[in-house]
Amino acid sequence: MSHGGARPQREAEARLAPLAGAWRSHRRQRRRRALLAAGLVLALLWLAAWVAQVDPRLIWSKGGNVFGYFDRLLTLEGGAEAGARVWHDPAEWFWGWRRWLRLLGDTLLMAYLGTLFGALGGLLGGLLAAGNIGPGRALRWTVTRGLEVCRTVPDIVFALVFVIAFGLGPLPGVLALTIHTLGALGKQVTELVENVDMRPVEGVVATGAAWPQMAGFAVVPQVLPGFLGYALLRFEINVRSAAVLGFVGAGGIGQDLIEAIRKFYYNDVAALLVLIILTVVLIDAVTSRLRFRLLEGHAA
Amino acid sequence: MSGAASSPTPLRAAALARVPALRAAHPGAFRRLGPGQRLALALLLGGTLLLGLGIWRLEIAPARLLAGLGDLAHFVTLMLPPDPGSWAQFRGILAALAETLAIAFLGTLLAAVIALPLGLLAARNATLHALVRFAARRLLDGIRGIDALIWALIWVSVVGLGPFAGVLAIMTSDIGTFGKLFSEAIEAADRRPQEGVVAAGGSGVARLRYGVLPQVLPVMAGQVLYLFESNTRSSTIIGIVGAGGIGLTLAEMIRTLEWQSVSCIVLLILLMVAAIDQLSSRLRRRLAGG
Amino acid sequence: MLELQGLTRRFGAATAVDAVDLRVPEGQMLGIIGRSGAGKSTLLRMINRLTEPSAGRILHHGRDVTALRGAALRGWRTGCAMIFQQFNLVPRLDVLTNVLLGRLNHLPAWRSLSGAWPEADRAMALSALEQLDIAGLAGQRAGSLSGGQQQRVAIARALVQEPAIILADEPVASLDPRNAMLVMDALADINRRYGIPVLVNIHSLDLARSHCERLVGLAAGRLVFDGPPEALTEEAARRLYGLEAAEAAAAPPQRVPVAA
Repeated sequence: MSHGGARPQREAEARLAPLAGAWRSHRRQRRRRALLAAGLVLALLWLAAWVAQVDPRLIWSKGGNVFGYFDRLLTLEGGAEAGARVWHDPAEWFWGWRRWLRLLGDTLLMAYLGTLFGALGGLLGGLLAAGNIGPGRALRWTVTRGLEVCRTVPDIVFALVFVIAFGLGPLPGVLALTIHTLGALGKQVTELVENVDMRPVEGVVATGAAWPQMAGFAVVPQVLPGFLGYALLRFEINVRSAAVLGFVGAGGIGQDLIEAIRKFYYNDVAALLVLIILTVVLIDAVTSRLRFRLLEGHAA
Repeated sequence: MSGAASSPTPLRAAALARVPALRAAHPGAFRRLGPGQRLALALLLGGTLLLGLGIWRLEIAPARLLAGLGDLAHFVTLMLPPDPGSWAQFRGILAALAETLAIAFLGTLLAAVIALPLGLLAARNATLHALVRFAARRLLDGIRGIDALIWALIWVSVVGLGPFAGVLAIMTSDIGTFGKLFSEAIEAADRRPQEGVVAAGGSGVARLRYGVLPQVLPVMAGQVLYLFESNTRSSTIIGIVGAGGIGLTLAEMIRTLEWQSVSCIVLLILLMVAAIDQLSSRLRRRLAGG
Repeated sequence: MLELQGLTRRFGAATAVDAVDLRVPEGQMLGIIGRSGAGKSTLLRMINRLTEPSAGRILHHGRDVTALRGAALRGWRTGCAMIFQQFNLVPRLDVLTNVLLGRLNHLPAWRSLSGAWPEADRAMALSALEQLDIAGLAGQRAGSLSGGQQQRVAIARALVQEPAIILADEPVASLDPRNAMLVMDALADINRRYGIPVLVNIHSLDLARSHCERLVGLAAGRLVFDGPPEALTEEAARRLYGLEAAEAAAAPPQRVPVAA
């Protein structure tokens, strides 16, 4: 930072000029690429808005509705304290708690059964679909494609079809969750199995074990902790899904929720949402603790 | 081998003769159930009881199951071959698919824009105050606890039927997820560049702008792409409750038992999802590469 | 009597084992020596049929076992127990269960998979472990054991298969000198006590000389030496190992006295 003469400074500038130029052109190039990407995203945005008929003016005109709706959700409609916020009269707000808790229990049971059946099927499917121990190429191909379809078709679409085949109620819901869980876990188990240590597998095969025994003794012990972790995670996801299967008549709390929303029973909507959120958060907390313990036990 | 089974080998003969002595020396090895197995058995018993409760409460009767399976097999035969019905109907399906994609795109992008500040507030190393962080976290948890389909229903009753409700539904359900992912990415950011900025005299905002954002932006872009991928799946179903996209057509076809159209739509959905997966995973790989 | 006739295995263009003819009489302790990559492992793995031969035949007491499939193949595998360099135990299962895995082919699948092993099988497994001085470890996880202990568990597993032949593929290559000696002693002891022929791949010439009654040498997949240990002169060893000869002769451990 010395006040050198004009000459050294000019010299330094001359020396730095090419460097500064290179930096500037590099920066310009990066800017241009960033601008191009931004332009592309904006063009896609405009296209998407046009396709989805999203009109900014609509947002303006409906903006008020949003707050109005949530305001009404939280305002008591009946009882002694009508007009006040819902938490002033919990008894009035949660008037249907007996029925709702029962439905919530059913929802959890649906998630449990779907996860259980799906996990068992997914374990078997994953073992059959794995490239390193799969019993046969044709069988492997079939199972892999089957798992793919089970996984990619959303569970609620299965539920829609099953409701027609099996009738209204939790049964089609459980089946839909089972199918989707089977596909998702099957893929994850396949990946776990394809990464197992092959030495125990070889050791067990060399004793003359048949395929089920090889899978049961050499592969399952290796994939079990990972599999249980994935299954618990899937249970969390299934609890969320089970809560909405009732929308299409497949049992659980969703059937009451859709009715409340469609018929504008504002307080019921708020109460049901609170119950669902609490359940989901609670289940998440429990299963994430279990998964943590599982990982710890595995490491030990 | 074969001979070994009929005439006992010396090892087997010696072992059989010594069973009582071996039992006395290694009681643990002869116990039917070890301690680990006992725990497993208890869990199994509990699980089975819960299973029984579920079967009873949810009225899962074998007869109903069998009858339904028969119907289902019949439906499957009716689905083949996939056929959209008419050319006009096919064009309608394609338009609905485009709408589905548009909903997913708009919803994801809007959610990312809104979630960025929330994620900053929820991150341990960027927030204003522990209390703000706690509130932001609980808010994000609550939003995540509600399925996109529920949001779709709510938005339909607020803004009416149509794809706009779908965009809002995808957006709201994603804000929670994005907020959580972003805050985790920010918390996982390398501390050294941040210290460098602070050591050079930078303010807190400068630390976020030059120490944190350059690191986490590529990560976040990857997460946005990933969620766009998963949202193309979610946005195929929100139409079931009237929030736009292919779901409405699909649900209609199922309810009116037009099985060939159903299989055609499902096939097209699978193709679209696979194409988006390909595109997005390629983009994400390029992002990760630099 | 185990007999190999023109046994060959090709991997693509490379020939790992090249037309090997070999007769192993009952009760023999046979060491297979040669530099690494000479085809020793492939040869043993072909006998157990973990690797399929490209050509040639394997006969056991005159029965052709080269093309067995399904249950007959599993029966043959049970009959020729395999011991591996890396032990190939299931690390998360306890030692006793690992040994009981040798009984898998003697039991219906439901019994083994449900853990309802018959008392006689448990007794056999324990007595095999006792014989190898590790019965005290029966309840431990196999993965928590030292290499030498794991290899002895693997030998116990081989024993309870009630095998007609034991194949050992570099059983001591991953072990320290003391444990290498222990494991080789155990194999020789089993060979003497039960008269089970043992085919052992071994890199160390010293251990091969001290424990085997007959040595065969493989080089580039071909059988180039066959005779008693005394016949393996310095000259013969050099031909077999090439430049590795000095290393193979120097690597083996000092013989240490071991309690039986």
